[in-house]
Amino acid sequence: MKPARFQFWKTSQGIILLLAFAALLIFPQVVHHPFVLHLLIMMLFYASLGAAWNIIGGFAGQLSLGHAAFFGLGAYTCVLLHHYTGVTPWVGMLLGVLVASLFAAAIGYPCFRLRGPFFTLATIAFAEVLRILVIYFKDFTKGSVGITIPQKMGLGNFMFREKAPYLYIILIFTAGVFLISYLIEKSRFGYHLIALREDEDAAESLGVNTARTKLKAAVISAALTSFGGVFYAQYIMFIEPYSEFSLDLSIQFALVPMIGGMGTSVGPIIGSFVLTPLQELLRSWLGGQFAGLYLVIYGIILMLVVIFMPQGILGLIKSFWTSSGEKS
Amino acid sequence: MIQDLMQLTINGLLQGGIYSLISIGLTLIFGVTRVVNFAHGEFLMLAMYATFFLFQMSGMDPYFSLLIVTPLLFVLGLVAERLVIHPILNAPSFMQIFSTVGLSVALQNAALFFWKADYRSVKTAYSTQTLVASDLLISVPRLIAFGAAVLISWGIFLYLKKTYTGKAIRAVAQNRTASTLMGINIRKIYFLTFGLGTALVGMAGVLLMPVYYVFPTVGGLFVLTAFVVVVLGGMGNLTGAFAGGLIIGLVESYSGFYLATQLKEAVYFIIFILVLFLKPSGLYGIVGSEEMGEK
Repeated sequence: MKPARFQFWKTSQGIILLLAFAALLIFPQVVHHPFVLHLLIMMLFYASLGAAWNIIGGFAGQLSLGHAAFFGLGAYTCVLLHHYTGVTPWVGMLLGVLVASLFAAAIGYPCFRLRGPFFTLATIAFAEVLRILVIYFKDFTKGSVGITIPQKMGLGNFMFREKAPYLYIILIFTAGVFLISYLIEKSRFGYHLIALREDEDAAESLGVNTARTKLKAAVISAALTSFGGVFYAQYIMFIEPYSEFSLDLSIQFALVPMIGGMGTSVGPIIGSFVLTPLQELLRSWLGGQFAGLYLVIYGIILMLVVIFMPQGILGLIKSFWTSSGEKS
Repeated sequence: MIQDLMQLTINGLLQGGIYSLISIGLTLIFGVTRVVNFAHGEFLMLAMYATFFLFQMSGMDPYFSLLIVTPLLFVLGLVAERLVIHPILNAPSFMQIFSTVGLSVALQNAALFFWKADYRSVKTAYSTQTLVASDLLISVPRLIAFGAAVLISWGIFLYLKKTYTGKAIRAVAQNRTASTLMGINIRKIYFLTFGLGTALVGMAGVLLMPVYYVFPTVGGLFVLTAFVVVVLGGMGNLTGAFAGGLIIGLVESYSGFYLATQLKEAVYFIIFILVLFLKPSGLYGIVGSEEMGEK
């Protein structure tokens, strides 16, 4: 039996999240400061992408550092389609999701035979190859120059002058990813994922089709990540291969759930709401004359988290509630 | 035609020698500690900066600075092991990767902070010297780097084969548990190995300096190549890393000429992916490499 205080923490989690969602809906009506809104958008953006990564990385323990591949594929499919045919980004988004899912399915099967660092290295290699190819086929992709998305404002073009519409879109998306994660966490599928993370051979011997389960999780994760790519492209109105397919981005997607708590549906949200403001503030304070300094701090934080807080913030909170509950 | 091919082969082998030396350090660390060290490239970068500053401040010949930079990097490796690797030795491999990524980001940006993003190079009398042998051009500093890489690799093989400590290192690489039972202090071996691997990449940095330039992210350029080499040769296998380095050097040289310069990286990443899929234990598959993957 878990102590009562632990149950209290569990139910209060849901209430806190609902309240936060409601507050964020009202927020842009009250606050119009562009930096504050931008910060919120980025917090939600990384929360959703961290949560998307978490489905395959956290629940299934398949620790990819190549998620930028799906992100970039989504963005490039959508923007190139719009560039050449003028089709609305909303359709491009669906196509981008499709392309990323197919790519995930194609590389997933061979990748999942690899374990530990081998898997991680393979995912890095795939993202690198995509980046190099996008740079090389510059007649089609515009290469390293990138593509500026023409400014045509309006909901139909997924482009807005104000920040508030972007905030609403990413808020709904984050809520959606969270809901999917939550449903996975509570489902048979989720238990299969966790089982194969803990011991793949044991899960297999108990009748879990580990290959298919991992593939499903990878496709869901990739599809959600590619939407993030489309959103970011439409938000900054520019794409180029170095940032879209970068290892740094993949690291960030994995870092968010790691800080919050890997393999939980709330973890990525907590992670992003702590990490993103910290990063954005450090960057704006130290970014200018002290180039590099903020990333030194970032690197040090990374090491400290791994060494002292491997279970993330959620792990700390949980151990606090359970241990103090057991004492009473 | 034939001459092109021979020239490309020479260039590829000479470049490959440097890759071998970088990769031997990486694979040694992996083989013994089972940690994939993403900060390996940053040690290369630090060694290159050290060489550069020694040259700039005291006019020291880059090759002479081997005597200073190598022990310096050895000590740096020991410090890094104590602070970053030691606490996470028993963590899951992913956590270890993150910790070394953190170290890599911190070092890279510390370099950016202190030394700016400028490209710096060492200009010596022999920087652009070449030997001409029946229409083939051989760059002198690259030849020296290659020769030194071969000698150093040979030295480290001998050390691991003949000395008592070397044997202990190999024992730990083969089987942690058994070597603990045999009375080897494995923590000490990890410590020493990390220093050794870092010293090796430090020597590579020094040898690279007369023909290359240094900037804060130079390590990232080489470390991904080194991963390709290490996987190709079989993780933890030194002979494999040496051969793998030469192979990747050749692949780079041929594909850069016959295909397109921009695609040479794609070619070796595709080789990397194919090796992972077809023979994850690498060219020189060693017993137990499957177990390494499982961690």
